[in-house]
This record gives sequence, structure tokens and C-alpha cells, in this order.
Amino acid sequence: MRRRIVVSGLAAVFALASTGQVMADGYTGAPRTFLFNPATKLCFSDTAKYKKAGPYTLGFSNAGLGDSWRVVMLHSMEKAAAEHKDKIAHLLITDAGHDDAKQVADIQDLVARKVDLLIVSANTEKAVDPAVTRAMRAGIPVVMVDRRVQSNNFVTFVTASDAMMGRLFAQWIVEKLHGKGNVVILAGQAGSSPSENRVGPAMEVFSQYPGIKILDTVYSDWSPVKGKQVMQAVIAKYGHSIDAVWSAHGLQVPGSIEAFLEAGFKPGEIPMHTTADVNGPLQMALKYKIPMLEIGYPPAMGGVAINVALQVLNGARVPCTYQINSQIALTDGDATASVKPDLSIKDEVVPDGPADMLVTGGMGPGYNPSSYSVDYPK
Amino acid sequence: MTTGRLPTGLIAVTSLLLLLLALGAALSHSFIQPGNLLNVLEQATDLAIVGLGQTVVVLTGGIDLSVGSLISLLAVLTSGLIDSDASMVLPVVAGVIVLGALLGAINGLTVVWLRVHPLIVTLGSGAVLQGITLLYAKGPVGGVPDGFDFLAYGRVLGLPVAGVAVLLVFVIAALLLRLTPFGRYVYAVGDDPVAASLMGLPRRRVLVVAYAVSGACSALAAIYLVARFGSGQPYTGANYTLASITPVVVGGTVLAGGRGGVMGTLLGAYLVAVLNNLLNFLDVSSQMQLVVQGLIIILAVSVVIDKRRVVA
Repeated sequence: MRRRIVVSGLAAVFALASTGQVMADGYTGAPRTFLFNPATKLCFSDTAKYKKAGPYTLGFSNAGLGDSWRVVMLHSMEKAAAEHKDKIAHLLITDAGHDDAKQVADIQDLVARKVDLLIVSANTEKAVDPAVTRAMRAGIPVVMVDRRVQSNNFVTFVTASDAMMGRLFAQWIVEKLHGKGNVVILAGQAGSSPSENRVGPAMEVFSQYPGIKILDTVYSDWSPVKGKQVMQAVIAKYGHSIDAVWSAHGLQVPGSIEAFLEAGFKPGEIPMHTTADVNGPLQMALKYKIPMLEIGYPPAMGGVAINVALQVLNGARVPCTYQINSQIALTDGDATASVKPDLSIKDEVVPDGPADMLVTGGMGPGYNPSSYSVDYPK
Repeated sequence: MTTGRLPTGLIAVTSLLLLLLALGAALSHSFIQPGNLLNVLEQATDLAIVGLGQTVVVLTGGIDLSVGSLISLLAVLTSGLIDSDASMVLPVVAGVIVLGALLGAINGLTVVWLRVHPLIVTLGSGAVLQGITLLYAKGPVGGVPDGFDFLAYGRVLGLPVAGVAVLLVFVIAALLLRLTPFGRYVYAVGDDPVAASLMGLPRRRVLVVAYAVSGACSALAAIYLVARFGSGQPYTGANYTLASITPVVVGGTVLAGGRGGVMGTLLGAYLVAVLNNLLNFLDVSSQMQLVVQGLIIILAVSVVIDKRRVVA
């Protein structure tokens, strides 16, 4: 009986959450990292005590803006709030400008404004923890998004899976190369958790295939300029013996592809790349016939956080960590035994869009981050 | 010596503060609730305390640009050395305050001995202290035992502990500056250092003590921030170097030294805290908050400067 309640509650969460991601033809089911999780018992938060009648006042304490991912995430949240005007009376948004002291004060201010639920994207894991913990103790449910606090004093954490990205990227390369070939690891920033949490699981996959040789591991600092520099050195050393570039994200991929082009690689000769979120690499994959796999860390999680928040206020149980779906997008004809596309890169790319825009925000066609504005309940 | 000019700044900052409160009350019902105003009292703590030390230094005609780095260093030392061990709280807190005063005194001694402008001395020592901080801790370090956050979030009889403590500290500091010889020397040294020396005032000792007071205030701010954040981080204090000057000048203390006072600084810190809070309540974006803050600072200071120009 209890189990059935759990399952039906979950279905409701996922059904609602997935409507927030309006990716044209992509996967819209329940999060795969949840369905495929081998553990028989997962952590769930009981939210019965937070159930109340709407319309609700939601608060969002944002760590700050400053890069395109965070802008799209905020827009995704505003869009979801606009879609639920019937249930949401106000979405109060504060922005801490990446300052811990301001974020703590922002959270206090939102609590003083009597929000029914707080969504928090924490500037730093530790410093914002006491403020979040206090809000929870005061009876206000907290939904973390993208950046959590250190303790478990929140209802749920909406995020995506770095490990899944890293593993699938690696498994695809292995299968494309039939277990034999030379791979360059184009990581992000040394020591940064998104980079390490993708590289580590990828190496575990590669290590199972003795025919796969890791030529070099280089760091791009998530920058196309730095990515180009480090790849120029790698290409000078290994040239055409490079069979694949495992990249931890899409930010540095344009630099890598440019380096191959400048080294005289013709369209069709550039080795396969993995990428995430960014439009530019997808445009280049089609233009230069590069086999490419895109799995994102979608800023659409902003909108999902709103949907999850509504479920919490509806008293539905939610998983303690809510890993949203990342779409699996591939260039045509590059599917392998383990990696089948949810959509084609041809359909995911915004052909005339800016190269640095993110395509995984679920914002629909025609979205332009610099002019976007939606009438959400303020 | 200063009584004629002091009130101008105080009047300006008080009127602005009252204006903001009235505006807030008119525009937002939840803003003027006692619960929120007590939050603001608490939120002004860090800026007020750092501003107190900065005021004393500015009154002597100097400036302390090392406060941010000093706060960072003392914050990581506080949580690093306490390391969640309740028995370490008292010795570490006491030690950190003494260390803050000592490092501040070294700033003062350097200014006196090398006769280099305090701006350069403390800019340099700030860089040194930030370097040492990062050598000690690259990220959040250590922790504090349960209950330590009472210093930052605690309430007694509904009043925020930190906010009330700040008020007391400021009243005591104001009395000390008004009633003791040291206090009068601070003003005299800032007003005219040459005359102060000719009169045989202990100018060097006054400077060293002033920077030591600033160091001790940085230590108090660091301890408060560790209580608020649950740990010290190597850049915890980074914003406070320039931010600490805002309440000082807004409160009517003149950067050239010799004129002003700590109560203006306290009101200046309240002004900044009320402004941030009110702009949140009015849903003003944080980007716009910076703009408004900057304009208010210029407005508040221009009132004081204008008056001085007339007097001069």
C-alpha cells in the first residue's frame, strides 16, 4: 500500500516535471538515472507536512548570474512560473551577486516576506548552509537547484548527473572505435567538481578496454581559447593518430575543432567529439561532418525546480536528489549498441542562433537570452 | 574642535535613514514589521563592526585597506583551530581577537616607522595577509560546534544578540572617544598631525593603537561571519575592504581625518542594511540595487562635503 502511494506520487512528480522540458522530440519520461538506479531503496522526502492550499508565494534565492548557463536557468524558472499562474501568486527572486553574506540576508528577507517555499541555488556549499537549515527549521520547505548546501537540510536537490555524462561519453567512444583507438581527454578546470566528476567515471569505462589508449589529458578551463591552445599542442604531437576527443563540456569544443581545422584536417577527417549544452559545437559538427554526442547539464532544471516545488506543496513525496533528464543527441548514423539518440543533433541545433547560446534550456524555438522576457507572477 | 561639524553628517544620515524607513512603510506592509526590522539590525552587524575600526583609523587621517584580508585570515583561523571542538571556542576566540589587534598594530608600526602612506602600507599588508590565508586554507576549513551560530542568529527576548551587542560596543566606543585623552588625541592627530606632535601628543602611539583597534574589530567581524556561515573561507572578507569605508563616509566622518564620529558610522551601516533589505522587499533587481546604493552613498556624502566647503 505504502509502496503504491510512493509510486503514484512519483509518477505525478515526473509527469509534471517533464512537461517543463519542452524539448521538441527528446526524451520526456521519468529521469533515467532514477529508473536505472540499481539501489532497491532510495532516499525520499516526506512532504505531507508541507501540503497547503494555493495560490502560493515562492521565493528563489539565486547565487547570482554572470554566465549564460545561469541566465537560461533563471529564464527557465520564470517561464515555468508563468505557466503555473493559477497556482503561483508570486515568485519572489533575489540575486546575491555571488556574495555569501548577501545570500544569507536574501534568504532571511524572503522568509520575512512569508514565502510558502524557498528555492535556493547556493553560492557556496558551506556558508549558505546555516541560513537554509534555519529556514527549514522554521517550517519552510527548501528545494535546492543546481548548487546544494553541504548538509541534507533541504527537501530535495534538483540537479543533473555528471557521472552519467562522463560514462556515456566514454562508452560511445569505445563502441565507435570498436574497443581500439587513441583518445584525448579534454577536461574542464583541474580540480573543479563538474570536471572531475565526469572524467573519473569516464576513466572507469575506458579502463575496461585494453585497446583504448589515453594519449593525453589536457585542461581547457572551460574556455574555447584555452581549449584551442592545449589541443594545438596535442595535435602537433599526435596528429592523425587521434581517434576521439572526450570533452567534459561543450564550452571548449569550438576551440578544439578550430585547432584541428587549422592543422589542416578536412571536413570528415576531424575525429569524433563529445559535447554538452552549447550551440556552436553542434553547428560545427554538421558543417565539418564530425561525429558528435551531446549530453547536457540542462539549465531547464530551473523550470523543473518550480514543478517540483508545486509537488512539495501538494504533499507528494519527492526523491532527496532529483536528477533531471539530459537529452542524448547524436549526429545521424552515429548510434552505437549502448548509446541511442533521443533526438538528432540536426533537430537540436539552432542553425542561425549564436554559437555561444545554450540549446538545453527547454525554452523552445526562437528563444533569445538577451531579449527574453516573460510575464511571470511577481 | 569638531563639535561644530559633527552633527551635519549625523543629521544627513539620520534623515536619509528615516526617509527610507518611511518610504518602506508606505510601499510594503511586511517591510515595517518588527520581525523584519530586527533582521535588518542583525544584518548590519558585520559592516558596522568593520566600519567601527575603520572610523577610528580614518579619524587619525589614515585608512585601513587590509581589513578584508585580515577578516579572511582570522575567519579561517577561527573555524580551522576550533575545528568543531566546543572546548576550543573560548581560547580560539580570545586568541583571534588578540591576533587581530597585534596584526593591526603591526600596520600602525609600519606606518609610523616607514613613514609610508597608510594606503600603501595596508594595501601591501592586505596582499600579504591574503597570501598567508590561502597558504593556510584553499577552501572552507574546519567548523564550529552546534550553538556557535547563536552569535550570529541568536535571539534573546526576541532581540538579535549580535545587533544589540553592536549597539553596546558603539556606545562604549563613542564614550571612549569623547571622554578619554586617547579619544581626544585621535581627533587631534587626524586634524593636524604637525600641531599634534608640536603639542607633545603621543602621535605614534595613537596611530599604533588606532590600527590595533581596527584589527580587533576585523577579528570580531570574522568571528561573527564564521558563526553566520558555519565555517571560515579564504575569501570571506574580500568584500569588506571597500565596503567598510561606505558607512564611515556616509556617517559623516571625513576621509582627511579629524572630523566625524562612530555613531554616524553605525547609522551609516544601518542605512546600507535597510537599503539592501528594502530593495529586496520592493523586488528591485540586485543589479539595480548596486546602482541605487552607489547613488545614495554619493548623495549622503555630498551633503557633508557641501557643508564643509561652506565652512571652509
